[in-house]
Amino acid sequence: MAANYWASTQHKYWRFTQEQLAAMRQSLEDEDPTPVQAYPLPQQRHLNIFFNQQINRLAKRLSIRQQCLATAQMYIKRFYLKVEIRRTNPYLVMATAVYLACKMEESPQHIRMIVSEARQLWGHELQQLDTSKLGECEFFLISEMNSHLIIHQPYRTLTSLPSEIALSPEESSLAWSVINDHYMTDLPLIHPPHIIALTAILLAIVLRPSPAGSGGNNQAAGVATAASMLVQAQQSQARRRTSGTLTPGGSQGSSEQYPSDSPAEKKPSDPRMSKVVRFAAFLADSTFDIEAMIDTTQEILTFYECHEQFNAKLTQDQISRYVKARSLDK
Amino acid sequence: MNHNNFICGPGPMGYQSKVRVVDKYKVIGFISSGTYGRVYKAVGRQGQPGEFAIKKFKPDKEGEQSYVGISQSAIREMALCSELSHPNVIRLVETILEDKCIFMVFEYAEHDLLQIIHHHTQQPRHPIPPSTIKSIMFQLLNGCQYLHTNWVLHRDLKPANIMVTSAGEIKIGDLGLARLFWKPLHALFSGDKVVVTIWYRAPELLLGSKHYTPATDMWAVGCIFAELLSLRPIFKGEEAKMDNKKTVPFQRNQMQKIVDIMGLPTKDRWPLLPSMPDYTQLVTLQPPLGGQHHGHHYNHHRQALNTGHLEKWYYNTINQVSAGSGAAPPLASLGKEGYELLAGLLVYNPEKRLTAEQALQHPFFSTGPDKVSANCFEGLKTEYPHRRVSQDDNDIRTGSLPGTKRSGLPDDSLRPGKRLKE
Ligand SMILES: Nc1ncnc2c1ncn2[C@@H]1O[C@H](COP(=O)(O)OP(=O)(O)O)[C@@H](O)[C@H]1O
Ligand SMILES: [Mg+2]
Repeated sequence: MAANYWASTQHKYWRFTQEQLAAMRQSLEDEDPTPVQAYPLPQQRHLNIFFNQQINRLAKRLSIRQQCLATAQMYIKRFYLKVEIRRTNPYLVMATAVYLACKMEESPQHIRMIVSEARQLWGHELQQLDTSKLGECEFFLISEMNSHLIIHQPYRTLTSLPSEIALSPEESSLAWSVINDHYMTDLPLIHPPHIIALTAILLAIVLRPSPAGSGGNNQAAGVATAASMLVQAQQSQARRRTSGTLTPGGSQGSSEQYPSDSPAEKKPSDPRMSKVVRFAAFLADSTFDIEAMIDTTQEILTFYECHEQFNAKLTQDQISRYVKARSLDK
Repeated sequence: MNHNNFICGPGPMGYQSKVRVVDKYKVIGFISSGTYGRVYKAVGRQGQPGEFAIKKFKPDKEGEQSYVGISQSAIREMALCSELSHPNVIRLVETILEDKCIFMVFEYAEHDLLQIIHHHTQQPRHPIPPSTIKSIMFQLLNGCQYLHTNWVLHRDLKPANIMVTSAGEIKIGDLGLARLFWKPLHALFSGDKVVVTIWYRAPELLLGSKHYTPATDMWAVGCIFAELLSLRPIFKGEEAKMDNKKTVPFQRNQMQKIVDIMGLPTKDRWPLLPSMPDYTQLVTLQPPLGGQHHGHHYNHHRQALNTGHLEKWYYNTINQVSAGSGAAPPLASLGKEGYELLAGLLVYNPEKRLTAEQALQHPFFSTGPDKVSANCFEGLKTEYPHRRVSQDDNDIRTGSLPGTKRSGLPDDSLRPGKRLKE
């Protein structure tokens, strides 16, 4: 079903565990180990950052919207689960993924525009790019994805929240950017989009830059708040499950005890805390997979740490080396 | 020939399909050619049960030696069909991308509504049995409800796109114009120059609305219902051609056909009417003549001219007796519920039009002598003629140009207006 995530091909065919992902990537490398050894590449997260930065450059030139880029990144992820990257020219794959994603997201770009912009941008590796090559790569991409082109994204959840946890414009844009960032991790191959959205909301609430004066060094505290709040909500969910109650009393309990248990020790009068409390109650009362949210929080934090070690130049050079050596630019 | 080093793979070519159409399917005939390509009938070579319809999309230009990018319509159809799964929506078996062509393999449907209607117009003209109409409508609405609850708008519902299997199941087909409507990115109209064959096009679209909604599909369902009753399109307008400026012209003739039966739309019943882009065009239309059309002489006064003649149209239609037979009119059993359903679907105001879900609850389906069957042919003594399958183009690998029309195939000859390429 197109709009029902649980019946979608994304849920049925494109969700994996971390272990499955690792095994699939390993087996791709094992199929042809020589180039893998000859051409080392940065870790997956750094490749993802690279793809993200590059397609953003292309998007700027053509005023392509964020949703198209999200979809394009999903296509790239799926494709590289099926095809070892050293068999491909990633610049061609990126250009094609953007071209296809724009069509799928109902804001098509002319193939000639994509080709000419991609050539200007990535001329060093795509000098010979023409529409035919891009069109051929489109067949390759679609075929490896089994024609599963509809992507469920977390963005929609942001605008359909119940009123008690509605976000301020500031929080909303922060959540939006967390969602943008999660496309540089494996999370969209692991968890459903609403889990990502809920985690992004939580992070936006706890990390939101404080009002003037309170300083910027509360990130760690904020994250700790988020983590402990999730654990609380999870326990409360579990209690509710065993006692069989679905009454609001359960969530009341958790929202009452929550602030005092919080390592952040925020006063309940802090407007941010009260929103966190409300969100905690909302989660405790829900059947959402909080374990998955905890996992997502962790991965996003790991990603932000690892982002600092990203070396664009090195990544680009390493890609260039194998692309040139294997004549993938011809 | 060395233009494809995209892949450092074993083969000399760049993209190679892992599955070859001709290895997996045996084409047994040619069904139809449309704007986008051709449809073939096939059976499996590898023990796959049943028969298949393979829709082949070709690059626009014949003999194109290179890839040109897949049309948005093909992309939509591939993407949507692989997500959908419902007994009243045609099932996509697989998609094969091979040799610069796209092959979408569907379950085969022996009939479609266009053929069935056509069959009943053959002499002696005889109406479709009421039980068949009920079953068709119920299944069609069921498929629509599924599409709409999954945020899919079909946007091209018409008899030629509604398939019927030999077991009497209705299968909504041709999702080439379908779109997801949870994407508020563009008005759902822009980007497609022509949406919905003009005879089935809802009044809000004719009046220039850019907002395509489930209600727009429901108007088409109403038109199809009427056509099942009378065996001809209820609003058979002539399409005004696109002018050079590529602006979509006001379809005056089509709108007039609607007004002739439905009366002029009014602000009272359609409050947003004055905000329609082509609202001002309405004054150029003729109000329907008071009954004279149908040979009656009710002496209505001016105000009555706006109320329309749908009711009269309906009862005239269902009370027709078959030529030369003294029997009761065969459609009479559809009764007033039939009129109410029809009138509920053909409501000017899209917000007041029945939704698929509401229509399924309509007493039309729970009253009257005919039970709704999951097989629209239940109780019929005669069988409909099988789909015409021609033998003069069995080579799915080469096939001739898309758009090269073969004469004599009812599907092509009866359709008004073609879609434009996007
Ligand atoms: N599954 C099918 N089984 C049998 N015939 C089919 C099937 N799908 C399509 N056809 C035939 O081919 C015609 C064209 O197919 P359609 O999907 O409507 O494409 P187009 O975009 O050319 O209108 C249909 O009107 C019908 O006659
Ligand atoms: Mg069609």
